[in-house]
Amino acid sequence: MSRIEAEQLSKKPRRSTLGNFRGRGWRWARRVTQWVVLVVFFYLFRHTQLTLDPPPEHANIFFRLDPLVAASAMLAGKAMIAGMLMSLIVIAATLLLGRVFCGWFCPLGTLLDTLGPALRVGKRNKENKPASKRWWRGGGYALLTVLLIGAVLGLPLVGFFDPFAILMRGAAFAIDPLLSWSTYEGSSWLYLNAPESVTGISEPIYAFMRDNNILAFERAAFIGAWISAGFLLVIFLLERVEKRFWCRNLCPLGAMLGLFARLSPMRRKPDLSCPGCGDCMTTCRMGAFNEAGKLEPQACTLCMDCASDCTHGIAAFAWRRPAWLNRRTKTNAPRTIPLPIRGQTPSIDLSRRAFLGSCATGIALPLVSAAAMNAGLAKKPKLLRPAGSVSADEFLNRCIRCGQCMKVCPTNGLQPTILEAGLAGMFSPQLIPRRGCCEWNCNLCGQVCPTAAIALLPLETKQTIAIGRAEFDKDRCIPYADRENCLVCEEHCPVPDKAIRLSTVMIELEDGQSMELQEPFVEPDLCIGCGICENVCPLEGAAGVRVSPL
Amino acid sequence: MHNISRRRFLQQVSAWSAGLAVAAPLFRIAPNRAMAAVDAAPMLTVGQGTDYVALVAKVLEPLGGIGAFVKSGDRVVVKPNIGWDRTPQQAANTHPDVVKALVQLALDAGAKKVSVFDRTCNDARRSYANSGIQPAVESIGSDKVECSFVDDRKFVPVRIENGRSLNEWTFYKDALDVDCYINVPIAKHHSRAKLTLGLKNVMGVMGGKRGDIHPDLGQCIADLNMVVAPKLTVIDATRILLRNGPTGGNLADVEQRDTLIASRDIVATDAYATHKLFNLDPRDIPAVTAAYDCGMGQMDLDKMNVVEV
Repeated sequence: MSRIEAEQLSKKPRRSTLGNFRGRGWRWARRVTQWVVLVVFFYLFRHTQLTLDPPPEHANIFFRLDPLVAASAMLAGKAMIAGMLMSLIVIAATLLLGRVFCGWFCPLGTLLDTLGPALRVGKRNKENKPASKRWWRGGGYALLTVLLIGAVLGLPLVGFFDPFAILMRGAAFAIDPLLSWSTYEGSSWLYLNAPESVTGISEPIYAFMRDNNILAFERAAFIGAWISAGFLLVIFLLERVEKRFWCRNLCPLGAMLGLFARLSPMRRKPDLSCPGCGDCMTTCRMGAFNEAGKLEPQACTLCMDCASDCTHGIAAFAWRRPAWLNRRTKTNAPRTIPLPIRGQTPSIDLSRRAFLGSCATGIALPLVSAAAMNAGLAKKPKLLRPAGSVSADEFLNRCIRCGQCMKVCPTNGLQPTILEAGLAGMFSPQLIPRRGCCEWNCNLCGQVCPTAAIALLPLETKQTIAIGRAEFDKDRCIPYADRENCLVCEEHCPVPDKAIRLSTVMIELEDGQSMELQEPFVEPDLCIGCGICENVCPLEGAAGVRVSPL
Repeated sequence: MHNISRRRFLQQVSAWSAGLAVAAPLFRIAPNRAMAAVDAAPMLTVGQGTDYVALVAKVLEPLGGIGAFVKSGDRVVVKPNIGWDRTPQQAANTHPDVVKALVQLALDAGAKKVSVFDRTCNDARRSYANSGIQPAVESIGSDKVECSFVDDRKFVPVRIENGRSLNEWTFYKDALDVDCYINVPIAKHHSRAKLTLGLKNVMGVMGGKRGDIHPDLGQCIADLNMVVAPKLTVIDATRILLRNGPTGGNLADVEQRDTLIASRDIVATDAYATHKLFNLDPRDIPAVTAAYDCGMGQMDLDKMNVVEV
């Protein structure tokens, strides 16, 4: 096909009344939007902590906009989650505009675009293969199939592959602690060792970072942070293989949006790369032009690069009557354009065989998991879940492993499970009281949970919910084991009438004198398992009082 | 910011770099209590009233007013109890009005800087806010007043020369390096210490693992008080916690008393408060007897010069 033909193609049915999206202005608009969204993402990230003003209630907005998370959590939980309906906005935008979400909004995509050049340093062939037909191309669709079928059948794995969850976990569990600890340790070392001429510079910098929320208020640390960092690292390193490797080949959210983008009326004109130059095929960061040179709307993220860089000034994006509307009139109207690319909704990059394979995997994984559970190879674990968590059976269905509850926990007591909840339960939250207790006046985890796996309870309700119960280990607890008074646990017990009570006994000391000894015990009906007793127990190593799940 | 010439900066940096290998932390703050001669008949004032701001000024008057403690240009610490994430009504923390009144008086007396802080047991942000103390202090709106959270890096090791149970512990630098330290505890029940009053309030400026000193709490508290020497102790008994301390939470355990007790002698305030507020014998409070035995103050109620205002 010649350029002339291509131009004619672009001119044929002009039903768009809103004009064309063309030129460098739109690329700049995309860039600015990306940066603004990235800033908002990290602003909300930083506000995913105890702030009294404003409260972090809306910090989960990215997850609530995420239709993949919404579909998975609702399918797995077999329930409508009102807060997640916001994701319909993204579906609607995709139906209208195509995958703008991936190109203009996704913070992970922005980070990949930004860091890509640095990640590709030293790579010889920086050219982008157009319409790469490599075997991994349909991975996102395969993943999407597995995730959604798995969700229906009770093995929701969305948290492992949702881009926001991966980014949030990597940032919250690994990068943020690294930043906080290294800044703190470095400035502390200077503070303690350096002369005033140096601290006169380092201290204001540290104070500025601390007071302006660049550093987390509490320095947190998370179990298995390296796994979360690894997920993120792999995605970034794959950038060396292809630009936006993750987004084109693996991202299940991108794949899901791609399904809707196929129906979108927003199309490039011409939708073929003109053979005369073909620049757009090689510059496209998504490799969205297929072998025939046609731009596939399910892969295009509307980055506007091809429309901005078009040397002939003809490429543009515009709304056109989508193919699926044409079908109805197909029989009457003579087909003026005898090309296979018209009149049919574009197919996705997943072969029938791969699709069936994904379905089979999606069905098999939950069965394997259930079989292992029934055979006693894996046990339904009892864990200290946050107060307000839905029932243990439901919890893993609802939880999307976004990590926000753990990020927001002011005591750092909420920690990701690694294998405690089974492999499929990885990164779900559990309270480790020795690390941090569940604060009495706190329901932050419920505030930020996007899927209501942890319900937002009023404080008065939350303060009555028992997540576990404390038990004294009389072989370790100081008054029992060492016959010395202690009572740090009782002192901290926040229950107004004290869930840790004391019985006073008189004991005889070695020198013959008698001493009043106060022995603590747990009042089972009052204890809510907040774990502050276990947390403050002055013993080294395991505490003398420990909280067990109910 | 302070000015420093480039030459001096480079000199310091190179000297510092050269000395790093053998350098120890630079500040070692000597205990500022030189075991001053204790007044055998200390004056103690006690007053009642519902206007707590006026009451603070009233109880200080017989002691010479705030001017007897704070001189112009002084750096002042007002140390309340902000230990818990509780409201003022729940009587787990010092009353915000009392704290604010003391800060205001110190400013009026010409203080260069007034710091208010406590090492909290619950989350610091919530404790500072929900106790009402941070909002109250900040409402003064003076840049000389600072109500900031404790900075972990500022705990410095201090030798306790005459300590009987403790010989070394870390203390908050900002609490030691001051001209006037004003101790403002709330009076409340505590199952281990029996009561928490002025002496126990010093645990808010100690570092390390505070639970470690619980087995011999009374003597340890006395030892800690050898380092931190308040010029003035004002016990806030506007409302007191009778049971389930030190956290409280049940309003039925709170009693309204509208009382303040003030003295230079921290042992005297504690002994008097024990008797007057809780009707207990000061000799049953381990920290009071330990501090008295160490010669840190008067616990004999008959020997105090009690002035009721």
